[in-house]
Amino acid sequence: MCASVKYNIRGPALIPRMKTKHRIYYITLFSIVLLGLIATGMFQFWPHSIESSNDWNVEKRSVRDVPVVRLPADSPIPERGDLSCRMHTCFDVYRCGFNPKNKIKVYIYALKKYVDDFGVPVSNTISREYNELLTAISDSDYYTDDINRACLFVPSIDVLNQNTLRIKETAQALAQLSRWDRGTNHLLFNMLPGGPPDYNTALDVPRDRALLAGGGFSTWTYRQGYDVSIPVYSPLSAEVDLPEKGPGPRRYFLISSQVGLHPEYREDLEALQVKHGESVLVLDKCTNLSEGGLSIRKRCHKHQVFDYPQVLQEATFCVVLRGARLGQAILSDVLQAGCVPVVIADSYILPFSEVLDWKRASVVVPEEKMSDMYSILQSIPQRQIEEMQRQARWFWEAYFQSIKAIALATLQIINDRIYPYAAISYEEWNDPPAVKWGSVSNPLFLPLIPPQSQGFTAIVLTYDRVESLFRVITEVSKVPSLSKLLVVWNNQNKNPPEDSLWPKIRVPLKVVRTAENKLSNRFFPYDEIETEAVLAIDDDIIMLTSDELQFGYEVWREFPDRLVGYPGRLHLWDHEMNKWKYESEWTNEVSMVLTGAAFYHKYFNYLYTYKMPGDIKNWVDAHMNCEDIAMNFLVANVTGKAVIKVTPRKKFKCPECTAIDGLSLDQTHMVERSECINKFASVFGTMPLKVVEHRADPVLYKDDFPEKLKSFPNIGSL
Amino acid sequence: MQSWRRIRSLWLALSASWLLLVLLGGFSLLRLALPPRPRPGAPQGWPRWLDAELLQSFSQAGELPEDAASPQAPHGGSCDWGACFDTSKCRGDGLKVFVYPASGPISETHHRILASIEGSRFHTFSPAGACLLLLLSLDAQTGECSSMPLQWNRGRNHLVLRLHPAPCPKTFQLGQAMVAEASPTVDSFRPGFDVALPFLPEAHPLRGGAPGQLQQHSPQPGIALLALEEERGGWRTADTGSSACPWDARCEQDPGPGQTQRRETLPNATFCLISGHRPEAASRFLQALQAGCIPVLLSPRWELPFSEVIDWTKAAVVADERLPLQVLAALQEMSPARVLALRQQTQFLWDAYFSSVEKVIHTTLEVIQDRIFGTSAHPSLLWNSPPGALLALSTFSTSPQDFPFYHLQQGSRPEGRFSALIWVGPPGQPPLKLIQAVAGSQHCAQILVLWSNERPLPSSWPETAMPLTVIDGHRKVSDRFFPYSTIRTDAVLSLDARSSLSTSEVDFAFVVWQSFPERMVGFLTSSHFWDEAHGGWGYTAERTNEFSMVLTTAAFYHRYYHTLFTHSLPKALRTLADEAPTCVDVLMNFLVAAVTKLPPIKVPYGKQRQEAAPLASGGPGPRSKPQAPAPDCVNQIAAAFGHMPLLSSRLRLDPVLFKDPVSVQRKKYRSLEKP
Repeated sequence: MCASVKYNIRGPALIPRMKTKHRIYYITLFSIVLLGLIATGMFQFWPHSIESSNDWNVEKRSVRDVPVVRLPADSPIPERGDLSCRMHTCFDVYRCGFNPKNKIKVYIYALKKYVDDFGVPVSNTISREYNELLTAISDSDYYTDDINRACLFVPSIDVLNQNTLRIKETAQALAQLSRWDRGTNHLLFNMLPGGPPDYNTALDVPRDRALLAGGGFSTWTYRQGYDVSIPVYSPLSAEVDLPEKGPGPRRYFLISSQVGLHPEYREDLEALQVKHGESVLVLDKCTNLSEGGLSIRKRCHKHQVFDYPQVLQEATFCVVLRGARLGQAILSDVLQAGCVPVVIADSYILPFSEVLDWKRASVVVPEEKMSDMYSILQSIPQRQIEEMQRQARWFWEAYFQSIKAIALATLQIINDRIYPYAAISYEEWNDPPAVKWGSVSNPLFLPLIPPQSQGFTAIVLTYDRVESLFRVITEVSKVPSLSKLLVVWNNQNKNPPEDSLWPKIRVPLKVVRTAENKLSNRFFPYDEIETEAVLAIDDDIIMLTSDELQFGYEVWREFPDRLVGYPGRLHLWDHEMNKWKYESEWTNEVSMVLTGAAFYHKYFNYLYTYKMPGDIKNWVDAHMNCEDIAMNFLVANVTGKAVIKVTPRKKFKCPECTAIDGLSLDQTHMVERSECINKFASVFGTMPLKVVEHRADPVLYKDDFPEKLKSFPNIGSL
Repeated sequence: MQSWRRIRSLWLALSASWLLLVLLGGFSLLRLALPPRPRPGAPQGWPRWLDAELLQSFSQAGELPEDAASPQAPHGGSCDWGACFDTSKCRGDGLKVFVYPASGPISETHHRILASIEGSRFHTFSPAGACLLLLLSLDAQTGECSSMPLQWNRGRNHLVLRLHPAPCPKTFQLGQAMVAEASPTVDSFRPGFDVALPFLPEAHPLRGGAPGQLQQHSPQPGIALLALEEERGGWRTADTGSSACPWDARCEQDPGPGQTQRRETLPNATFCLISGHRPEAASRFLQALQAGCIPVLLSPRWELPFSEVIDWTKAAVVADERLPLQVLAALQEMSPARVLALRQQTQFLWDAYFSSVEKVIHTTLEVIQDRIFGTSAHPSLLWNSPPGALLALSTFSTSPQDFPFYHLQQGSRPEGRFSALIWVGPPGQPPLKLIQAVAGSQHCAQILVLWSNERPLPSSWPETAMPLTVIDGHRKVSDRFFPYSTIRTDAVLSLDARSSLSTSEVDFAFVVWQSFPERMVGFLTSSHFWDEAHGGWGYTAERTNEFSMVLTTAAFYHRYYHTLFTHSLPKALRTLADEAPTCVDVLMNFLVAAVTKLPPIKVPYGKQRQEAAPLASGGPGPRSKPQAPAPDCVNQIAAAFGHMPLLSSRLRLDPVLFKDPVSVQRKKYRSLEKP
């Protein structure tokens, strides 16, 4: 702005001899141009300042300026909650309709201020937390501003804390919402339900069919599969930054840090402290502190003052006792400190218990067993405790630490009920990231030996070596369990031989012509493959006997989730070069088998074609090499298991280079293969290959036993 | 003129700047100039309040003291676990179950169920010592109902087991008793207190049970997508391609060609649609599980069996019946990976918990035991992945890595060391040579000698660097598989004093075991076969092209199998092993095969040709009566298991360069090849 002013002043000097009228006109014009240029420049330099800010879409207003709605004293009140409500009875799923993204659409009513006939407000307009919650929903993928497309409605009437509400009037306010319709598909969030003297465990506001995300449900009020149990948010989560503390033994075994406990409970806890001494710490609020303001963050034991919640990090177990309400905000603080909560609240429905496995992160002790608490906790093995400490912290990070986390987890749970086939799994909800990374879930986990009668499909990849191909077909067709033969004709410039020229074999023979000469064509999940077992074989592998192939198939049946192949290879860590190296020498170990002759499950064809990580598939096609190494990586990565090499080493005629004509097994080739391993390891982000020292032979292989009595006599001859 | 030119050039410059301005910044400028109004169509969103910072928190710190009220638990009308079950009776031994004897004549099924509970490890004969009192209410056909038992005590700590949902007129109030019944309605079911059972057909096998029908992991190509129930108890496949709503009655008025296939007792499709109400839907649900057909449940109003512990989202699709099109589309588009996983899970669950009445009852008791155990209950992983919670005892450990089954899921590996357990039976020569050979292995962590004969313990043992512990056994053969606390490694090398092994044989076998920690890895094998002539199972230790058992006189296996052998096998079977010592091998092989559903693994054994006799002559029994009772014991054990779990293998795992034509110097296990 300063710059433009300066130019403004200098303006007249540049155009001295003009009429004043013109001059003013030009000066204005010029200034506008300059202004425009400066503005443009600003946009060029900070191009994101406008796009990223939501201020352009969202009004900036004051909460005090919202429209006022007067509720007549006789306006209708909803029915009380219906305890028998379930998703298929009280929830209108038609509103959620067909949604290709499997995401529910959530509408938020505009904020209003409700007053009664006398103009007295019904409640505080909105709390900080509820505002955060609605903001989080509004910013999420669930949000829609089109009330007609919405599946779930969230009133902006804040009922987080029942204490601040006038119950009847709040209910009336709910009832006059434009799409209320007995509360169908409406979601209310409440963290502090009930009120003195009996403290109901669910919100007392009559709400008819509305779903309740409640922070203190008991088994009596919780409608399984309909309501959602949520945590009571702890404001300390935002205020205090407790860095993660690794699991392990801590100074105190058990700590109780709640103030305002019922005297009876406090007596029980203090008895524990007397009995077990130093390892138990029972804290109370500080009475001798002069400053009242800080007392929330201090706890005292006798005259010793402790910082709260930091002191929780000093304990292995932390007591979470119910007060008048079952849900306690301290649960959140305890989890944040990585302390294992000992929940003593009979009939309490733990937060998000529909999806979270609390056994992994907490100990639930019945109230009548409080005095046995110590011995119950001591019987837990140290390893399990550490597991629980990690899990507790993870639960806090994922589902407790902010209002946003709580809101999104709630919506996710409801979403999973409406689109169950797209639901998040137990592992995704519960496993901490470290476990998710380390674990392997084998896609073929069921121990199963497929029946021999099924047989296998042989897939021969060929380009133009017809003579050799025909020999392979003839040889393979002798294998008893072969059920079909598929020739993948990878040569687009030449037609496959006429039907009459092909060898006559006893099983169906199909020729598939490909659109492009790509190595990945060998691993395409062709519809023609009807068996689970696939034998990938190159068009020059003529040295394998029928016995060897049949035995290979038998081995695959015992290991259907692995690659079962003939020539084995190894990867090694080259300490000098600091990278992986490919090895094809006579080694005592195997980590790969060549797919020039290998059995595997046809599902891996699907994985190779559609689920190969990164750009590996295209990279292989472009380099015309290493498709077998890629397959070995893929299978080892999803199954976590090693390959099985079958039968002794044979004199394979350069098995690695069959796909590339003319290239011999020389130094460059080995270098290329090594590069492949390094490239794939970096794409996978790990080295999935497993090294083993064994291979599979027939039971009586090379035993001193009559050859003619052996099932597979013709194995291992060079 | 000059000024005109100047003006013109100035004008030109100005126009150029304008043009530039319009091109570059016009739009931005427009947006700047316009008031910040929302664009139509874009989500408006929740407003950012100017005074958001000033808003008050929903809970004030001052509310805390008020929160402390009387320790009166909130109470509702019905029971839950905390309110109606007294766990103090279950302290110590965990769950002990007393079963009320039947009054009057009982059916054969009833009798056998009683027998199966009495054979289980939960059973006790004293109602006073029991923590759970079980009331069987299952004689649906006789129509007789149990009367109020003696120790009823308002039903506290009672479980009323109703296997068949024949409505027994309620002769007495259930009070605080838990109810285990087949497919309860969601409205009457009390989560965490009642137990939902599967709906078992009358002819459900008591023990063992039919294995799952799944022959292969992935669906056969061309298999129907969806099978529908038929009214008369069969299934038919539906053509999902043409009809928009294949299960809707309105659509069926015009059945297209090929829409109705032949009827089947078990469905043959990828998904099985189950709608309607119990009990029909519930019995179809079980059929679908057995057939490996993924159940698609449309708004079930009944609780799925054992829903407290079984994660049904891994094996079934629960969908809303009101959105049929969406369900159909979801099934058609489901990823092959998910279909594969669901299919396999149906089979695992069927085999683990549902295939026999005995499994259903044991699962029920296990569920209740888990509630009592609290933190030492089965983790969810143990319930929901093979071999299942009945075979993965939580009394052994609650950490999945301690078991041999979950290393992949946990990203862990079995320990790199083993303990050798040498059984010394009669005649009682200290196995000096064997100790030397085993101690020579780099993977050996300790040697345990189980002294089990009449001779006194020798005072001196050979000097080895390996820790050597001598256990004085009880002269019982089943002692060999007792879970001694002194075994500190995952792997156990079980040996007989008369076994003879070389160090490299031990080394190689252990390395192989590390790849297959859930299986037995042994040197000498035997087989079972179906003997047509005798109409029973036969047993042979002859060398054949396949095998189904390895001799435990020299075998590696996970120490967990000791716990399983001692604590999960029925007492009768262990007694059988003690009485006929050669049976112990067979029994252990049965047990491991029933758990893994896989054959054992054989590794090369060098001395086979010369000294096969002493090892192969079966078991640690006295030399005088070798191998006699073996064939019969296969049949007895198979009868007790209810099925034949043994599987045959046709392969042996050898070192990679075993007997290859390459210099011996290159080979790691060269002594394996010495003649």
